Amino acid sequence: MQKKVSDLEYGESGIVREILASQHDLSCLGIRRNKHLKMITRQPIKGPVVVIVDEMEVAMGIEIAAQVVVEIA
Amino acid sequence: MGLTADERWDIIDAITQRTVGTGTYRRTLGDALGDLTIQPLTGIPVALGVLYAFWSIFGSFAGSLVTDGFMVKLFDSSWLPWLQAAWPNPDSILYYLFVGDPAADNCFEAFGALTSGLFVAIGVVLPAVLIFYLMMTVLEDSGYLPRLAVLMDTVLHKIGLHGYAIVPAILGLGCNVPAVTATRILETRKQRFIMMSLLAIFIPCGAQLGVMLEVIPETVGLVMLYLIIGFGIFGFVLDRLIPGSNPEILIDVPPYRWPAWENVTRKLWSRTKGFLKEAVPFVLLGVLIVNVLYLTGVIAALADLFAPLFVTWFGVPKETVGPLVAGFLRKDLAVAQLSTIAMTPYQMITSVVLVSIYFPCVATFVVMLREGWRELLAAIAVLIAVVFIYGGLIHAIGILMGVA
Amino acid sequence: MKEQSNNTTTILMVGNPNVGKSALFNRLTGANAVVSNYPGTTVDYTAGTLIEDHRTYEIIDVPGTYSLKPRDAAEMVAVRMLDEHRDATVLVVLDATKIERGLYLALEVFERGIPCIVALNMTDAAHDKQIAVDAAGLQRILGVPVIATTAISGEGVKHLADMIRKAQAADISAIRSRLNGQEQNRRSMAGCGGCSGCGGCR
Ligand SMILES: Nc1nc2c(ncn2[C@@H]2O[C@H](COP(=O)(O)OP(=O)(O)OP(=O)(O)O)[C@@H](O)[C@H]2O)c(=O)[nH]1
Ligand SMILES: [Mg+2]
Repeated sequence: MQKKVSDLEYGESGIVREILASQHDLSCLGIRRNKHLKMITRQPIKGPVVVIVDEMEVAMGIEIAAQVVVEIA
Repeated sequence: MGLTADERWDIIDAITQRTVGTGTYRRTLGDALGDLTIQPLTGIPVALGVLYAFWSIFGSFAGSLVTDGFMVKLFDSSWLPWLQAAWPNPDSILYYLFVGDPAADNCFEAFGALTSGLFVAIGVVLPAVLIFYLMMTVLEDSGYLPRLAVLMDTVLHKIGLHGYAIVPAILGLGCNVPAVTATRILETRKQRFIMMSLLAIFIPCGAQLGVMLEVIPETVGLVMLYLIIGFGIFGFVLDRLIPGSNPEILIDVPPYRWPAWENVTRKLWSRTKGFLKEAVPFVLLGVLIVNVLYLTGVIAALADLFAPLFVTWFGVPKETVGPLVAGFLRKDLAVAQLSTIAMTPYQMITSVVLVSIYFPCVATFVVMLREGWRELLAAIAVLIAVVFIYGGLIHAIGILMGVA
Repeated sequence: MKEQSNNTTTILMVGNPNVGKSALFNRLTGANAVVSNYPGTTVDYTAGTLIEDHRTYEIIDVPGTYSLKPRDAAEMVAVRMLDEHRDATVLVVLDATKIERGLYLALEVFERGIPCIVALNMTDAAHDKQIAVDAAGLQRILGVPVIATTAISGEGVKHLADMIRKAQAADISAIRSRLNGQEQNRRSMAGCGGCSGCGGCR
């Protein structure tokens, strides 16, 4: 099943399949296709989403998160 | 020449495949703490706790312990009487400039370069900046700031910024000068301009905070509240007026680390040295210049000129013009000087807020110029409007509450 | 050797934010650059001097950047410094726990044909995280000296200072062919694979 990172539940994880925008900036922070991504937390009122990729924590705005699609096992 | 990004990533994957081996990762206490401080349910109370602890340690250490417990005694009962006796000829101009009022019995009121000037710089501000920088270093080195940025992101988005603007904001509470340069970590010109303006207008520096805690301990909270509210209101307005975009936050959140003792002392020392070398001479010079301006009647003339604005619009005594002139050089000095003018508590609050917002100190002004003169001019225009509107508004609130 | 002792080589420290460039810079030059644990501490450049083995190096600490396509004004400073110092040597600083993103920037720098040397910093943190990076292997593949360092304890810094003179331009196509397992170009690799400071490469 595919989901946007902005729709992930707390603690849910998956494999990054598609990055629809900000690809360059995201990949420089380690978020690339085929990477394992885990959602840690999301701030209330459309706040940023925090994810872990390769043991590295990255925080991104919700609209950026909506552009990253992951495949959930 | 000129690989595409994908080609680079392919090479990188091939390299890391050959050279990097990962074992099984064990989560550490730091990681657990990292999660707790970034999840809203636990993170927001922690952030409030950190803020509260910061403020109360600052107040009790700098204000009560060192300044009241030690410095005031040293300066008022040893230094001042000794200097008043030792300096020849109380009627001379030099006495007026360096020692000040021969009848004064405390270092705030004497207002000579070597009495008030030294007392403010060494007795009040030095302990304040020392403890402030110590706590700020712990915040910086632990890795808490990026987490605070994530927690603050939603709020800061409402005023045309994003969470990472917390970094220049907190640096600014130490000193506005490095904070102005730190706005470079924001992505667009709009973000940088909004942050720089709000910084220069609404964020008091550590030196000023230290003096505020000392001279108006009961009302400093209200002054801060007015500054925070102003920060919010004018940020909101600027966000709507200034063209440009406000991209979303996208940051790396580093792991927590123990602050290395060596690095903490090194930073503390270099910042304190900077303060002693750059701020102290400015405070002393500031007192001298203001005294010369008083002597030559310039301040009296300015006070009369601005009296209508000050008395009717802002609701403060016209004598506050003097401290405002001093504020061009040093805000801490200006607040100290305000404390010696007779006025009601609400007038004091208003005038301290005015000193904070009316103009950045020279040092800040110079670094702002370095970031671009167009931005500087625009920021000054914003500033004049803000001082006028917000100063009047605070007065009006006072009238409505029946305290002004 | 002697005639070189008077002219200074400029060394630019380039790397991702928060990898320990400023900490390393302070170690190398004895300067007082601000070191903090958040990306974006350094927003302007600072210069310092290192005298090593009768050579003088002017080392410049620049803001961290993720790539040579700058995202903000601080990253812009880093790119501008690279453009302004065309004859400089670049000290690429990598965080051993976040090596991929660091290599992206490293490749971009390599493509410019600048003489480079790589510091593999945060080796202590990598060790704690059970990440093992083969520095010698990396050096063999990249064809430039790679020195493991821990800036906060100073480990490896002496060796790094000593190796700066061996900096050399990396060749992307050579890197590629080494990765494809083809026979290495002996000439450009001479004295460099598994370097222990023989001095043969310059
Ligand atoms: N464990 C460990 N920590 C390190 C090492 N080097 C630096 N640090 C820490 O990493 C953090 C970042 O160091 P800086 O030197 O400020 O990093 P920088 O690369 O200059 O960062 P920017 O100026 O933001 O680009 C600080 O908290 C340092 O104490 C190291 O070798 N090991
Ligand atoms: Mg730095």
